[in-house]
Amino acid sequence: MPTTVITGRDLVLTIATVNYDAQTTSVTLTNSPTIDVYQTLDGKAYKHVDDQWELSIDLLADWGAASSLFEAMWTACESAPNTTLAVSLTAVTGAVFAFNVLPVFPSVGGGAPGAQTDSWTLTVVGTPAETF
Amino acid sequence: MPSTILSAVRTPLATALAGVSANVFAYVPESIPAPAVVVVPDSPYLEFDTIGKGTFRCKINMTITCCVAYNSNPASLDNIEQLITSVVAVIPNGYEVQAVDRPTVTTVGASTLLVADIRVSTWYTQTA
Repeated sequence: MPTTVITGRDLVLTIATVNYDAQTTSVTLTNSPTIDVYQTLDGKAYKHVDDQWELSIDLLADWGAASSLFEAMWTACESAPNTTLAVSLTAVTGAVFAFNVLPVFPSVGGGAPGAQTDSWTLTVVGTPAETF
Repeated sequence: MPSTILSAVRTPLATALAGVSANVFAYVPESIPAPAVVVVPDSPYLEFDTIGKGTFRCKINMTITCCVAYNSNPASLDNIEQLITSVVAVIPNGYEVQAVDRPTVTTVGASTLLVADIRVSTWYTQTA
């Protein structure tokens, strides 16, 4: 069976139940595992001890827009920096990842003549729940 | 009825440009009465930068073509520079103003025009 190619257009990003596809140019959920390595008399032994997930998002700034993600993120980080936001990331229909992230302050500004953009690296609290 | 690129992008741009001292068109007219400002598509016209396909959204590249009568070279160049300056000043928020191509002499029908293109971009999301 040939591989079915999926692209960024198959992605859907929802933060706190609001869809933010319109201003998101790139979104990636990645894991940085901590794997301890031991040198034993029999050779190397490995132990996967921890996982830390991150959500990286590249965006077009949407200050001033209705349901602005930048304004919502700024407000969330200002008022409740330790309260997580629920995120749903659909890789393609039938593969959905749900997790919680901590808010960050967005950057403000940009260079002429381009669009105002920003890149966020959001720390994921816990482990994403997958639905395949 | 969903919004169209004409109603959401090109007509608002032409409306914003209405204050300049020239005839403004949101499309290419059959004949061009100088001085004139014409909003036309650039190439590539539509670029798809964002994720998802639930809604039609894209970056739109357009050219704002400024035309003045070409009777005397120094005067025409001054006129087109003034027209470009006034057009750039009224381009609405949300538009990237990239560059102005060099003026060229173009013959349209019986009239000879000095023409320069201002390249601009904006983002369009189709709304219900």
